[in-house]
This record gives sequence, structure tokens and C-alpha cells, in this order.
Amino acid sequence: MAELLVKNACVIDPLQGIEGDIMDIAIRDGRIVESVRNGAEVIDAQGFLTMPGGIDSHTHICGTKVNFGRYMSPEDMRAGRTVKRGKMHATSGYSVPTTYGNSYRYSVMGYTTVLEGAMAPLEARHTHEEFSATPLQDTMANTLFDGNWPVMEAVKEGDLKRVAAIVAWILEAVKGFAIKLTNPGGTEAWGWGKNVECIRDTVPYFGVTPAEIILSLVKANEMLRLPHSVHLHCNRLGIPGNYSCTIGTFDLIPDLNRNRQSLYATHVQFHSYGGSSWPDINSKAEPVAYAVNRKPQIVIDMGQMMFGKTTTMTADGPMEFNLYRLYHNKWSNHDVELETTSGIIPVLYRRKNLVNCVMWSIGLELALLVKNPWQCLLSTDNPNGAPFVKYPEIIALLMSRPYREKEFATLHPHTGSRVLLPSIDRELDWNEIAVMTRAGQSRALGIDRIGKGHLRAGAEADIAIYPLRIGDTDPSREYEKVIGAFRKTMWTIKRGRVVARDGEILVEGKNATIWVRPTVPEPYRMEQDPDFVRNFERYYTVRMSNYPVQHHYIPRNICIETEAVL
Amino acid sequence: MKVVLTTKPRKNPRIPVEAELLIPESFLDPSGAEELTVWEGNRERGLSDLFDIHVEGGAEKAEEVQLVVRGDTGTLKRVGERMTGGRILIEGDIGMHCGNLMKGGTIEIAGNADAWLGREMLGGEIRCRGNANHYLASGYRGEKFGMKGGVVEVFGNAGDYTAEYLSGGKVIVHGNAGDLPGIEMAAGTLVIMGDCRRACGNMTGGEVYIHGTVHQMLPTFRKVGEKVMGEPPAPYSIFTGDIANRGKGTIFIRNYQYLL
Repeated sequence: MAELLVKNACVIDPLQGIEGDIMDIAIRDGRIVESVRNGAEVIDAQGFLTMPGGIDSHTHICGTKVNFGRYMSPEDMRAGRTVKRGKMHATSGYSVPTTYGNSYRYSVMGYTTVLEGAMAPLEARHTHEEFSATPLQDTMANTLFDGNWPVMEAVKEGDLKRVAAIVAWILEAVKGFAIKLTNPGGTEAWGWGKNVECIRDTVPYFGVTPAEIILSLVKANEMLRLPHSVHLHCNRLGIPGNYSCTIGTFDLIPDLNRNRQSLYATHVQFHSYGGSSWPDINSKAEPVAYAVNRKPQIVIDMGQMMFGKTTTMTADGPMEFNLYRLYHNKWSNHDVELETTSGIIPVLYRRKNLVNCVMWSIGLELALLVKNPWQCLLSTDNPNGAPFVKYPEIIALLMSRPYREKEFATLHPHTGSRVLLPSIDRELDWNEIAVMTRAGQSRALGIDRIGKGHLRAGAEADIAIYPLRIGDTDPSREYEKVIGAFRKTMWTIKRGRVVARDGEILVEGKNATIWVRPTVPEPYRMEQDPDFVRNFERYYTVRMSNYPVQHHYIPRNICIETEAVL
Repeated sequence: MKVVLTTKPRKNPRIPVEAELLIPESFLDPSGAEELTVWEGNRERGLSDLFDIHVEGGAEKAEEVQLVVRGDTGTLKRVGERMTGGRILIEGDIGMHCGNLMKGGTIEIAGNADAWLGREMLGGEIRCRGNANHYLASGYRGEKFGMKGGVVEVFGNAGDYTAEYLSGGKVIVHGNAGDLPGIEMAAGTLVIMGDCRRACGNMTGGEVYIHGTVHQMLPTFRKVGEKVMGEPPAPYSIFTGDIANRGKGTIFIRNYQYLL
């Protein structure tokens, strides 16, 4: 029995309502327990800030898309190289690092659970293979359904039960975690060289609208009782004036679940633009935040953009093509058979660029204007807005108005007339930051029930201890100290073992993949449905029997079983 | 100063050796040569495990060093990487990535060179007496810029993608080149004495001289004139393009043939 006692920890654990109490945390066999015997290994946390391990609810770190980002950007792989040292593998890359690079850098920042934001079902094996080389975090994969032919056909027929049944079959087959919609309908239209304008456009051939796809899947999601809600990347990403489309989408969503949101809207910064073209772009964070404030059924993440080099990658193929036409740099475009698309281009976000400055402000405005931190989570849509290593700076920006003012002074001179950031006084406190970086994610993903994101007895012993005493730190003035502390934990504990100590990785580690298996009644088993099977064999390039991901791809896993109500 | 490295017999001579330390700069410190290491596959080896090392004289600067590599040299990779001066003489064949990112000095290869000779080269000279494989004087996969300066001369034939993304300097192939020479090139000069196929796709700038025949000439180049040149004098066609990429490159071609 491996036992560990963390003494004198200054704990912030929003899910338990603990706000900075000094306490001891007892761990046995990877789980938090009430007490351990004398003689257990002891870590003296010396009153340093201690929180549950960080959770990233939307990041792109594994899978075909990420790997193609690595492949097409040797300049990125030439940055950030570290050599093999102790238990650490060699790493390279900055915005799209190697899997070990991702895993180590997350771990050093205290992150223990991550969700890959977009996995094309057909290419799930690649994602799972890379998960098994991301050893220090537990992993989950959002599964793309935005342009899925059988789903769209069922939506057209108005057969919600069939939608749910198809989702159930695919999620189990590919060992996915939740439903992801990326520009629903638009990715299929891209196969025809088109896009959809907003939620009321029709998808070529299928004749359904994005609104119908979104609403059907939101309802099907609840019929399947999935832990997470539908995870939506709205239509019209990155186009000036798209905020009205975003708010229109939010207005569609009924409140269907008492325990969590009914819709998780991701990287909303990219969806909160006013104006009619790039020259007159302005911030519409206020109406978007207002919409979120009066709809408890919506949770968003920031998708904060930070200045510097990065790589944008998304399943939203048409959007990446628009970006390519702006930058004329490298571009990758991909079509995934009956399912979705993807696109990748490298970008450089600059302070001299007015559009980039407006984007930077919008992300922060969203986080500051959404009143309830449980409804706006911290993310950069890594690496689209910025690589996740920028999280500490974002935390400091949210906690310190002087830091925001200092940064704002370096931006394009016209930024002030386009945004409202300078008028916002709010500074987030430690508890709100803990919500936005772990507790909120845990509840939104529905993994609080399997012991993630809190330190209650029985929870997974994932703990981050940061070198900072909240009593002696004024985050508003000492923002540099906050950045330094969140960059490097003193200890990161994963499943009851110290995995990172002062920036050094100490163990080889092994991830667990969290996936869902919804059970549907017999008549809804898709593997027995003649229409589904016939179309599958006819249109896919793989046989249906070869499609499901075998269990040996997820050697260590946590399966969440649900009973569908159809 | 003259350093002669002669390969020793190896247990498995097909395993490539990552020899990026084989540059004149490594031998300025006479005792340092003993401590140099290279990777043979996934094993780190002392230089003296793989080579007999013979050193004559001393040197203050890289320019004064002549490095001779002799023996079974076809599996040595990255020789001359980032070198800034001096001379490397390879008496046989050389492996991939020879002279990549080199800034100055000279590399002479008596035999054939494998792929990626002079990749992303910045300056200096490379002369290869035999043939060169694919990606001669090119960029790296995914990079937007290839060779930016210096001269690469190959006396035999070259493979596919010769001078891909060429952004400066001069590349001369005395024999034939393979498919797609000068693709994506932006600046610099490419000279091919023999034949090649589908030259210069997506080119945006620079000059190309092809003294043989271009097979499957791309239709996206516009003929702008003719000129008598070469030795003996002969009529050459002058093309500009690649129009599909709004390019302003120029190609002088002795003979060409469209895909029928």
C-alpha cells in the first residue's frame, strides 16, 4: 500500500467549498482518504497554494491533425528542444510539441487531466496511440459529429432516437468521450467547396440546417445521459460580425440537465467579433457575456489569444481556407470521408496588428464579464489562440488590472476605440481562478463524479502545489510572482505519486483514457441496423468490422457506462 | 592542419552514423578529437571507435583545417553540418544531409552523394564528382526557404526536387536532373546541363538555365522570347512564370516538350 501525506497545505477546492484552509491531505493507493498510518511518506507543503490537479477541457495535443501540424512546421520543431534527461524523453516543438513535450509541460504547470478537443472518429486510433505517449495526464477525446452522414440523415428524418443510437455506437466504437460539433454542417458543405453562413443555412444535399443538427444532438446527448454536454465550436468562426450567430446559437439551447450545462461553447473569443469586415472589427464580448449570464445552461471557454507564434488547427476546414487567403503561408486541408474535415496553418499574432489586439482583449473581456466563473473556463484552445504554456500569463492578466493596463499600453494605438477592456475593473480572486482551471472543467465535463477536480475522500489523488503563499501575495501588484508560481509547481502529484518536482519530471508515468459506453435498447443497436450497415459498407473506405478501436489501444482506461433512455 | 579519418570495419556497416561533428571546427583543439562522439544508430560511440584518426600540424582557425574522410563513408550522415570554414574532402560516397546549413568553406566529394546534399545551405561551396540523390540543395520538408547562398556543383546526375525552394546562391548540375527541379524556387540560379522533367513548378523568382530537354514542360509558363546563347551557340526559348503562382521567374530552355 503506497501512502502519502501532504501536510500544511493551503487548499483551495471550489467543489468542496474550501477557500484557503490549511489542512493535511492523506493519500492511499492513488486515492484521497481520511487518514493514513504513521510512517507514510510525508510532503510538507509549508502553507503553499494547493489545488486539485489542473484540467484542460479543450486542447489539441494528440491525433492526426496535431501530428500534421508537427509535420508541416519544421520551424516549430526546431524550437523548444530539450535533451533526454533522467526519466524525461527528449522533446521538441513549441506550439505543436512532441507528445512527451506536451505531457511534461502540462505536468510542470500542475495539469493532470486533458481533453483532446477534436477527434475524427475514423482516425481515432492515432489519437489513442498518442494518448498512450502522453503519460502524465489522464486523457479524453471529443468525437466529431459535425458532418456525419448517418447523423444528418437521421436529423433530416427527425428521428432523435436514431441520432442518439448512432452517436452511442460511434462513441463506443472509437472510445470517445463526448460529442463535438465543429462548425456543424459547414464541414460537410466544405466538401462541396462551400460553407454555411450561420445556423439557418442548409447543408448541401442533406437539406438540414446547423440549428437542427445542434438541437438534435443536444437532445440526443441527454437521452444517452452522457457525462459531458454537447461541445460546440459555433458556425462562422473568426468572421467579423459573427457574435450575432453565436448568440443566436445560444438562444436555441434548452436547459435540459440539472447537474451541468446543456451546451459547452468552446473558444468563444473567436466567436465574439463585431463589425462587418476586418478594418472595422470590434469587440462584442459584452452581448455574448450577457447572453451567457442569463443562460445557466451554457458554459463557455475563453479561447484566449496571446501574442507570438503558434499553429492554428481545427476541424473547421472552410475557416482555415479563409485564414490561408489572409496569410498566404503554408496550409493543410483534409477531408475525413463521411465525417468531417480539417485544416491547419501556422500563424503569428502581433501587437502591431489591430485585429490581433482586438482578439486579445475579447478573450479577457469574456472572462471578466461572465459573472459566474463556473460558466467561463480558462483556455487558449491550445494551440489555436496560444500554446498552453501561456496559461500562467492569462491567470495573471485576469487577477491584475495593473498588468492588463501595462500590456494594453503596448498594443496597437487604435485598440482602445474597439474594445472595452480598459473600462473593466474586475480582478479575479484565487477561488475564481481555481474554478476556471480545474473545478469548473471537472463539473462541465461531468468527471467530478469519477473523482476529478476535487480533493474529497475517494477522489483521484491529483494535486498541484504551487510555490506561492496566497496570504502574502497581492496578485494585483505582484503579478510577476503569480506568473512564476503557475509556471512551475513545487510538486505535481498524479494518482498519488509525485510526478513533477520544481520543473523536473520524476517518473515515466502512464495515462488512463476516460471514455463512455452508452447502452441502448436492443432495437437501437446500430451494428444490427440494415440501413446503417449497408451505407457504411458502401461509402466508407474501411469495413465496419475494422472500424471500432480495439481495447489494446487503451490499455489503462476508465469507462463511464450510461443507460440510454430512448 | 590536416586530419585524416579512415573508417574502421564495423559489425553492421549498414547502420547510419550521425556525424554532424565531422566539421573543421571540431579539430581545432588537438586533444578534443579524442573526446568527440557520434551516434551509430541508437548507440553513442567515440570517434576513435569508428575511425583511425591521423592528425598533422595544428590550426588556429577553421579555414586552416583540411579534413579528409576515407573508407566506407556512404553511411555517414550530416557531415559538414553548419561548418563555417576550412575544407572537407570525402574520398568516397557520402550519406544523407551532407553540408546542410553550412555557412562557409568547401566540401569536395569524390563519389556519389545521397539525398539532401547542401540542404538549406547559407554559404560556401560543395562539389560532388559523382551523382547526387533527391533534394539536392533544397529546403527541408515543410520549410518555406531552401538554400540561401553559396554554390553547389554536381558533375553527375541529380535526383528529384533539385533546388526545391531555392532562395539564393547557385546550383549547377552537369548531368541530368530528375523530376521537378527548381520547384517553388524564389531566387538564385539553377543550371542543368542535361535533361529534366516538369521544371520549376510554382516558381516565383530566380533564373534557371536548362541546356538539355525539359520533358513534360509545365503549361503555366509563358514564352516571352528567344535568344541565341550557349557554346556552341544555339537558340534558347525564354519563359516566365509560374503564372499559376503569379511568379516572375525566368527559364532559358534549349528544348522542351509538353505532355501530349
